[in-house]
Amino acid sequence: MAVAAIHTAGLSKDYGLGRGLFELDLQVAQQEVFGFLGPNGAGKSTTIRLLMGLIKPTGGSAHIFGLDCIRDYVAVKKKVGYVPGEMPQFGGLRGSEVVAYFGGMRGGADVRFVRMLAERFNLDLSRRYREYSSGNKQKLGIVLAFMHRPQLLILDEPTSGLDPLIQQEFYALLNEAREDGATVFLSSHILSEVERACDRVGIVRAGRLVRIADLEELHSIRFHHVEIEFAAGARIPTDAIKAAAGVEEVVVDDHRVACTVKGSFEPLLHAIRDAKVANLVSHEPSLEEIFLEYYRESRRALPS
Amino acid sequence: MVAYLFALRQGRWGIAGFGAIAFLITLLNAAGFYQVAGHTTAEREAFARSIDVLAAQFSVIVPPPMRPDTAGGYVQFRAYGALAIAFAIWALASASAAARGDEERGIVQAVLAAGISRLAFVASRAGAFAIAATVAALAGSAGVLVGVASGGESISPAAALEAGLVLVALALCCYSLTLLIAQFTGARSATPVAAAVLLALFLVNSLSRTFDWLVAWRRLSPFHYFEQSSPLVPGEAIDVGATLVLLAIAVAASALAAIAFRYRDIGSPLFSLPTPSRPASYEVSRALAWRIPVVRELYEQRVGLLVWTVGLATLGAIFVVLTKAIVEPLLTIPGLARYFSAFVHGDVYPSFLGLIWLSFTQLLMAGFAVTRVARWSAQDSDGRLELILSSPVSRAGVVIERVVVLAVEALIIVSVSGVSVWTESHSQSIDLDRGRLVAAMLLLVPFTLVFGVIGALLASRVPRATVGLLGILVFASYLITQLGPIFKLPTWVQDMSAFKLFGQPLTTGVDQTGLVIMVVIVVAGLVASAMVMERRDIGA
Repeated sequence: MAVAAIHTAGLSKDYGLGRGLFELDLQVAQQEVFGFLGPNGAGKSTTIRLLMGLIKPTGGSAHIFGLDCIRDYVAVKKKVGYVPGEMPQFGGLRGSEVVAYFGGMRGGADVRFVRMLAERFNLDLSRRYREYSSGNKQKLGIVLAFMHRPQLLILDEPTSGLDPLIQQEFYALLNEAREDGATVFLSSHILSEVERACDRVGIVRAGRLVRIADLEELHSIRFHHVEIEFAAGARIPTDAIKAAAGVEEVVVDDHRVACTVKGSFEPLLHAIRDAKVANLVSHEPSLEEIFLEYYRESRRALPS
Repeated sequence: MVAYLFALRQGRWGIAGFGAIAFLITLLNAAGFYQVAGHTTAEREAFARSIDVLAAQFSVIVPPPMRPDTAGGYVQFRAYGALAIAFAIWALASASAAARGDEERGIVQAVLAAGISRLAFVASRAGAFAIAATVAALAGSAGVLVGVASGGESISPAAALEAGLVLVALALCCYSLTLLIAQFTGARSATPVAAAVLLALFLVNSLSRTFDWLVAWRRLSPFHYFEQSSPLVPGEAIDVGATLVLLAIAVAASALAAIAFRYRDIGSPLFSLPTPSRPASYEVSRALAWRIPVVRELYEQRVGLLVWTVGLATLGAIFVVLTKAIVEPLLTIPGLARYFSAFVHGDVYPSFLGLIWLSFTQLLMAGFAVTRVARWSAQDSDGRLELILSSPVSRAGVVIERVVVLAVEALIIVSVSGVSVWTESHSQSIDLDRGRLVAAMLLLVPFTLVFGVIGALLASRVPRATVGLLGILVFASYLITQLGPIFKLPTWVQDMSAFKLFGQPLTTGVDQTGLVIMVVIVVAGLVASAMVMERRDIGA
């Protein structure tokens, strides 16, 4: 059996006052894309820093490809590409110099691959780092993480600051890396992002791993807030909306209807098919709302 | 009100630091006066004559003293002359940070987004600096009173407060001028351009004492108006008109800065030329330097290293010229021997070079070490160290590379400086021992590394407080050697200073014990900082 790309057992980092990460047991298989989902301050970056050997655990252990993340931290880094949660300052260095600096430090960077990545992300490497927008800084971070084609990519909210088109490009790059044999550990606080990119998702809250879910389970607990605005004077099919499968918490206000939709949108769209709809907006719920929904579902599942 | 409090909070370390500096400088000079000037009228008159002659040689830099036979006159000359320069530098740093530095960090945008007008922003920063400078100047006034009291004399508290007031007026003037200049420059060039302007204004005034054709221009200089007041000197008083001129310049420059700020874009100067467009490049830098450890750091810091190297080499040559010009007249005054007997040993020219140039170079090299340590500390706090350690490099390796880079940089700087001093001393017919000069230069490398490894240890342990703590250490270490002979501090206290460990290699050769202690400190500090770095959390 192949060694796990990431294996943690009881991994903890206690900062006191209930802050930190507690008893994390996690296994990520090779070539898996694993999403690490949680709100801000949940412990995602702490987990990543522990895996990168940047901070010492107060309990438990972490291994990457069988190597101890603390004891063998140099050997671990040979296998890892890393996007930090926030890019540092490089002042007046040009993008090309930052890449050369870290390429020289790490070794094994493929210059042609870097050029391809920069072109793909439309990142002008001749500009000075301080002239970069936050999105361009993030692109440079992605180039630095991918440039040596690592076996494991540890990415801390890698799409923050990227525009939607570049995000699509990033997801495509992630898929290509996986096809080439790489494993990905991606932290995010955006449900749709991990849904789109990952095979499995670990949900972390208040420093504890709440659940490891596959995509199917994730779909089952997700829902949307929907607001429908009907044309003035149009008939509102309130009863049909309330009766539609998966539609809950229906509130009618004048010619507007607000509701939540679990699962497929099909029943709701069928219910309003004959009405004159002026506008329809769907919002993704916050992670806190998903957690509440998750706990509600768990309680319902318990035998009375 | 919130903006004022926020601005004051931003400058709290400046207030603490310059308050402490002002207090110590005035206190030590006032107390030191009684140690070096004697107690009888005859002794003090002889001392005053010596100071007059000495000051005349430096009239290019400092104004001539008035009544240096009194504690007030001496402190006005020694302490407030230095404090004027220190407060001008503080004003420069604070104003350029407020005008452009905080803009780069996004603080200005956040403040303006909170509904504070641009005018109110400028007013809050200038107002907060006025409060900060007042607090620090009051500390200086307190130092005068305590120092004079320690000699069993007294000085008018009103005079001490007036001396502080003039200092505040000068600082505000420099602050406002820097604020104004920063509206017309790029963010990065604000500090150097404003520094060049303030330096020019300083030199216009100080050189006008030597060159008559500059006399008419010195009215442009705030330092000219500062020098019109000597409230600590018996029989003298604050020049109200000159002080009001300083305050008027401060108000006018602040108002103009606020207007310019009102009309410029955030992140840009008031006037800027359009930059030509060029095609994007996706190529990686092919410079070989990036691939070689140590060399990559030297290459990245090449501009700063060049500035330090050229600066110290130039300074060395200037000091050699000054030494000749200063020593020759001094040798004709027998009374001065007593004043300098605490410092000068052996041949007089090398002794003076050691006293003036080498001790100043020591201070600058310690400052150089602080700037490099500040860079290490910044790499920790801004996340660069985290990214470096995501590469397969060991933490101990990072510490070792940093210290080796510092050693190489120090070696480059002192080598060029040594060549400069050697060449100039030859042209000035000063007979320097080449071997001793080489030894003195090489000795500056472990001297610099002492502060470097202490800084590395601090950066590994308390990265956010590193620069402040190391700065205090350098300052204290320097003060011990300057004041130790005057105040007759115990030998063991003086031996704790790295400046003392350096010794006087130009006149007495290398102090083997001092060298061994410095090497032991460097090795032990390096090992300790590497060990602490291996164990600590990064970015937590």
